Amino acid sequence: MVDWRLFEPLFDFARRKSLWIVAFCTGCGGIEMPPLMTSRYDLERFGMMPNPAPRMADLFLITGYVTPKTLKRIIITYEMQPDPKYVMAHGSCPLNGGIYWDAYNAIKHLDRYLPVDVIIAGCMPRPEAVMDGINKIMEMIENGTADGWKRYKENYEYYKKNQDELFGEGWREREARRWIPWLMNRKKEE
Amino acid sequence: MREQAIIDGILTEAPYAEGKVRRERRVEFKVPADRIRDFLKLLREKGFELMLQITVVDWPKDGEYELVYQMWSIEHRTHAMVRTRIPRELDKARMPTVRDIYPVAETYERDAHDFFGVYFEGNEKMEMPWILDDTEQGLFPYRKDFDMLAYVKKKYMILDRFDENKDNYVI
Repeated sequence: MVDWRLFEPLFDFARRKSLWIVAFCTGCGGIEMPPLMTSRYDLERFGMMPNPAPRMADLFLITGYVTPKTLKRIIITYEMQPDPKYVMAHGSCPLNGGIYWDAYNAIKHLDRYLPVDVIIAGCMPRPEAVMDGINKIMEMIENGTADGWKRYKENYEYYKKNQDELFGEGWREREARRWIPWLMNRKKEE
Repeated sequence: MREQAIIDGILTEAPYAEGKVRRERRVEFKVPADRIRDFLKLLREKGFELMLQITVVDWPKDGEYELVYQMWSIEHRTHAMVRTRIPRELDKARMPTVRDIYPVAETYERDAHDFFGVYFEGNEKMEMPWILDDTEQGLFPYRKDFDMLAYVKKKYMILDRFDENKDNYVI
């Protein structure tokens, strides 16, 4: 039996060098992604890649304000990711509401509902700032401080309580009951 | 003047409406709410092919909603605003639908129903959920008398963060 914990530093080094991103663009930061990905700021030199499915992703970029309706999808997508998973929030809206501090339909503190590893300040952060945040998260992965996924497991009651307070008890079942029949009908129509 | 000619052509067939020229390529009509279907049918015949948007403006002092139907004519290259006023109380804020004249109106009518509570009679998708989540259904958050700050404090539980009168701003 090999004690795989011995190899964790090696794994962390490898994880740091191949972050795959969930292509889930919320808010205005989705516009900052094309310059980041294309030749000018070229993120692929860090081994990052936009990824078609959350099942294969490591890094979840939350690019801008989050509405409660989007937050439901974000939480489900986050839980679909396999385990070392990291969250990076862009801009001041996920941090404290930003310019939507008194809007009825934008959540104010993202870290009450999901563990966030790095938050980039700015409204909206320039690609340079995003690259700085990416550098930061790569450092944190390498020295083991990007432990949001562990915190989510350890403090799941706290996060679940906050989610339930916002959406109401049993929101996962309600959403599934509403949308799964709709999806099935759509397939039949096609 | 081209715009004046368009208005005159329309108003001879619709004497209940008022019209004026705002500026070049921009005309404006005022129509009573119960004649909106007749008027939009007429506009469609007169070459206003596109409906761009239905806007709702809330005038709480007058106790009225103002509905603005934005029409665009490719033929005349002219933007027409059709304004109409309906009472602001939720049980009286009812309009006949124009969905069969301009199919795109379905989207904007559902929008107006979600955010302002205007009910469009004859649009059978009115009761279906649209943009707002379940918890916000029936709140009509774009109405001027919706207490946004109190709702935000209650929903997101940030009671310690903002003072009631915004002079003392606590973050």
